[in-house]
Parts: sequence; C-alpha cells; structure tokens
Amino acid sequence: MSEERDQMLTQQAGEIARLLSYVALLAVSISMFLEARTIPTSRFEALGAGAFPMLVHALLSLLLISAIIGAVRRIPTEAYPRFASQVVMWVQARRLVLLMFLCLIVYVTAMPMIGYPITTLIFLLVLLLTLSPRTKAAVALSVVLALVFSYGLNWLFAEVFNVFLPRGR
Amino acid sequence: MDAFLLGASEVLSFSTLIMMFFGAIAGIVAAAIPGFTVTMAIVLTLPLTFALPPLQGVSVMLSVYVGGYTGGLISAALLGIPGTPSALATTFDAYPMARKGEPGRALSLGVWASFFGTLISTAVLIVAAPPLAVFAVKLGPWEYFSLIVFALTIVASLVGHSLQRGLISALVGLAIATIGTDPMMGRPRFDMGIDALRAGLPFLVVLIGIYAISQLASEVEDPKSIKTGEKLIKGEIKFNNLSVMREVLMRPVNLIRSSMIGVAIGALPGAGGSIANLIAYDQAKRASKTPEAFGTGTPEGVIASESGNSATAGGGLIPMISLGIPGSAVDAILLAALMVHGISIGPRLIMDNPDLVYGMFVAMAVSSLMMLLVCVVSMRAFLRVAEVPKWVIVPTVLVCCIVGTFALNNRVSDLSLLIAIGVFGYAMKALDYPLAPLVLAVILGPIAETNLRRALMTNNDWSLFVTRPVSLIFLVAALLSIAWAIRGFLKNKPSIPQTKDHS
Repeated sequence: MSEERDQMLTQQAGEIARLLSYVALLAVSISMFLEARTIPTSRFEALGAGAFPMLVHALLSLLLISAIIGAVRRIPTEAYPRFASQVVMWVQARRLVLLMFLCLIVYVTAMPMIGYPITTLIFLLVLLLTLSPRTKAAVALSVVLALVFSYGLNWLFAEVFNVFLPRGR
Repeated sequence: MDAFLLGASEVLSFSTLIMMFFGAIAGIVAAAIPGFTVTMAIVLTLPLTFALPPLQGVSVMLSVYVGGYTGGLISAALLGIPGTPSALATTFDAYPMARKGEPGRALSLGVWASFFGTLISTAVLIVAAPPLAVFAVKLGPWEYFSLIVFALTIVASLVGHSLQRGLISALVGLAIATIGTDPMMGRPRFDMGIDALRAGLPFLVVLIGIYAISQLASEVEDPKSIKTGEKLIKGEIKFNNLSVMREVLMRPVNLIRSSMIGVAIGALPGAGGSIANLIAYDQAKRASKTPEAFGTGTPEGVIASESGNSATAGGGLIPMISLGIPGSAVDAILLAALMVHGISIGPRLIMDNPDLVYGMFVAMAVSSLMMLLVCVVSMRAFLRVAEVPKWVIVPTVLVCCIVGTFALNNRVSDLSLLIAIGVFGYAMKALDYPLAPLVLAVILGPIAETNLRRALMTNNDWSLFVTRPVSLIFLVAALLSIAWAIRGFLKNKPSIPQTKDHS
C-alpha cells in the first residue's frame, strides 16, 4: 500500500517537474518566435530566414500550451507543497551525477589553459577514485587507466592520427 | 557491372578486409558494454576514417555498425541489460534462456539470427535501392519536405511513453537546428552574440551530448550499484554452432518476417533498430502457436529480435543511398563520413558514384561474415568485456567522447557545447522526453527548411504540398501515424495508470 503511495507521489512530482519544463520551454519558444519576427526577409524568396523558425516555434508553443493545460488538470493541488522536498531528495539521490557534471565543467574549462594530458589525468583520477570500490587493486587500476587515457591517448592522437589535443598556454 | 567489380575489388582488398575485421571487433566490443551504443561506437570511429579513401572509410564504419548490432546481444543475453537500445527485446527471451543454464545457446542463436538478418537486408537493399533512387530523382522539394514531416511524426509517435512529449522533443530539435546561419541566405539567427553558435550547433556534437553524455550520467545514478563490481555471468558457456544454425534456419517464416520488418522500419527515416526489434518480437509472438512461451526463454523470441534489429542496418541504407536521408542516427554519421570526403549526398549518389554504392553493398555482406567469424571464434573473450565494471566505463568513455568531439573540428568551444547539450539531454531524459526525435530533428531540420523555402521559391503556392500526389501521400501518412499513435495511447491508457517515472 505504502509502495503504491510512494509510486503515486513520485509520479506526481514527475508531472510537476515536467510542467515546469513545459513552462520554461514555452518562455524560450515565445521569445525565439518574437526574435524570429525581427529577422529581415529577402526579396528573392517568399519566405525569409525567420519564417521556418516562426513556424516551428508557433507549433511548439501550441503544443506546450496544450501540455500545460493537461498537466495542470492532472496534478492535484496537494502535490505542489510536497514538490520542493521531493526535488531535494531527487538531487541527493543523484549526487554522483551532479559530481560528474561538475568535474566535466571544471575539466573542460581548465583544458585550454593547462592542456589535455594534465587535466585529463586529474579528471580521471578524481572520477575513477570517487566511483571505484575502496580496494588497492581498484586504486592501482585507476592510476593505470588515468595515465593511459591522458598521456597515452595524447600520444596516439599526435603521432598516429596527427590530431593535436589542446596543449595549454 | 564495371562499377560493381570496381567497388568489390576495393572492399575485398587485403588492407580493407583487415580494417573491417578490427572494425567488427570494435563494434561488437563497444556494443557489449552497457551504455555504449552502436551510435557512440560509430561516432568514435568517424575521426579515425578521415585519413582513409571514402569507400574504405565507409566499409570500416559499416563493419562497426553490423558488429555493433550483434554486440548488443552479449550483455542483453548474459546480464539482462541491453547493450544497445536495439537489443531491448533480446533481453525478453535470451536472458531467461541464459539463466536456465543455456547462455551459449542464447548467444549463438542471436549471432546466427543477426547474420541471416543482415544478409536478407543486404539482398533487399541491392534490389530496392537503385529503382528507388531513379524514382527519387523525380521528387521535388515539396515531396522532400513532406517526407521529413512524415519521418519526424513517425519517430515521435513510435518512441517513448507520450506522443505529446515525442512531438515536443522533435520540435525542440527543429528549434535547435535553426540556431546559426540560415541554410539558404546565410543570415545569422539566434546566436546571442556567441561565436561558438554562429555556425550553428554541429549535429555530431549534439548527438554525442544527447546520447552519450546523458546515458553515461544515467549509469552513475545509483551509487550502490556502481561501487560493487560483482560478477554477474554464471554458467558454462558452450557453443554448438551447427545445431544452432539449423535451429535458426528451421524457422524460416519467423526469420524472413522479422528481417523484412527490420528492413521496412530501417528504411523509414528516423525509426531504426531500437523500434524494429520490438515490432519484430511483437509480430513473432502474435503469429506463434505458443505465445505464452514468449518471455520464458523461447528461441523464437531471440531470433525475431536479433534478425529484426540487424536487418535495419541494410534497411537504413535504402533511404540514405536513394534519397540522401538518413534512416537513423548511425546512418546520419555514415552520411557525414561521405560528406567529409567531399561526396555529395542525395538521389544522384548512385548515379555519380556507382562504384561507391555497390562497394557499400559488398561491404555489408562482408561485414556480416566478419561479424559471424569474430563471434564464433572469440565469443568467450568478448564475455570479459561485459564484465568491465561501470566505474571504469563511465570516466574512460567520457574522455573518449571529449576527445572525439574535439577531433571533429579541433575546436575547444565544441567541448563547452557538448557539456551544455549533455546536461540538457540528461534533463530531458530524466523528465521522460524521448531523445531520438530530438536528434533526428536536428539532423533533418536544415533539410526540411531548405526544401520548404526552395518549394516556395519555385512556386509561391502552398497548395502544391497537397496537390502533388507523392507529397500528399507522405502528409496523409504523417497524419495517420499521429492518429494511430493517439489511438494506441488511448487504448492503453486504462491498463497503465502508473507508468514508470524516470524523474
């Protein structure tokens, strides 16, 4: 019984999250539609560069409005107050995903400055050691993998494929 | 005939065969790793083929493609995890069969069914592609635009749990495709003054971000499962290839029906293997005298799913070769590989480059043989790959995605785009939006826009879209696909009040 209730609560939270995504997409779509209207048309053709985006965003906005109406009808009012705490729980459960994206952002930002081999070595060591089980073998394998995929891959691309990965400043 | 011999001689040269052999191994290994799709394997292979001649490069990619469709079955049969989305239905029967102590039979059945599925699809490709290309030359921009509308509606209606979200996803993809200079006049659009957006979003970056990064992020969602690297494969792996081959051939109706479903769905732009295996499985179950055996480890189910998904490889090449429209994301990458080599894609491909097209047909057949050879000889070794724990796969494949993206254009700004698209893709996935319509819309968007504008430049009359018969057929088919999907969703609604939520 409680499992069914949990499933229902999760489903309602999912519906609210989707409703928010519809609203966000609608805001972006309407602003892009308005921007597309300002693109000048060419005298060589009936449709200008803004016509196709306007068509796409008009259809998208209509679809999103119907989705918003449907979602608002489906979601019971008592589901909204619970939503914030459910989001916090959802984020906590996916802490590794957040960590992964955080590492990726730092990695990609640092790469042009420090260069591919060093940033990749650090990125792989951090991620592998975070995700791996706490055993000596796993640590040793992590170090080997980090070296192979950083300096090894850099060498392979430079020497074999003639593609030079970022060297840093 | 000369073109056929010329193409065949290039494919059958020693160096190409060796590279195709390694390509088949790479495809099988890649697809055997859960979370590593055929699409990702092909994306990673693409930069490696830049230095090769066009036919050699495409042949290697085809061998990865064919190998990949088979490799997905390894983790599907042994772990119950589809190595690729196209192996989803394989888990329904191959996994129970493996759990019952017959993992070798489950694998061999899948391999032989894949082999025959690919051969049948290649035969259909050889027969169907040239006449379709001749017909396609007569199509105008009206027909192309309507065809793309049909392709997008069919993929939006077939994939995912909600038609509405499928269509939203497709339109979001079309919106993404409009960022950057317009395809006709080169006028800048929606670039927000950011240099990286000025040329538009490269579709391969979108593809890697949406599929690979979001998929890898999903793999680390459960901290407990990632920290335990326990062995999941149990039981002795035994192969008896001849008896299994006989077992597959003794079910010719199932094999041919499933392969033809695979070819037909593969030929529809946008559908592909991830749908074909489910429909082939569904049809095999409906036609079976013992439908209750399905899901418990019946060979019928394994044969239907595997021949269905492998046949899409040949099917997908039909619209690619004859119309210049990719049948799936993988075909789009093959298309990109040809474009990199300066070959113009479209209905004239088979007329301007017949040796290349016939070479591709030969490469398909050779790839399936390579796949069979590799699987039969070294299936035991591949099993080790399926044992690689997720904590190793996720970070290393992430680095491969980063390197692959950088190598496409040698641009660091593409990496920032990749991460942004990856985060967006993960959010879409978590909110249960299907990703396939979005990616296909990004690929097909510029083609749709160009043809719409070209049609109205030729004749400023909108009614031509419904008065030209072929265009009308595609538009009616698009409407029917939506109506059919709405009917399906309404029919299933009362029976599934609590659908699985990913958020």
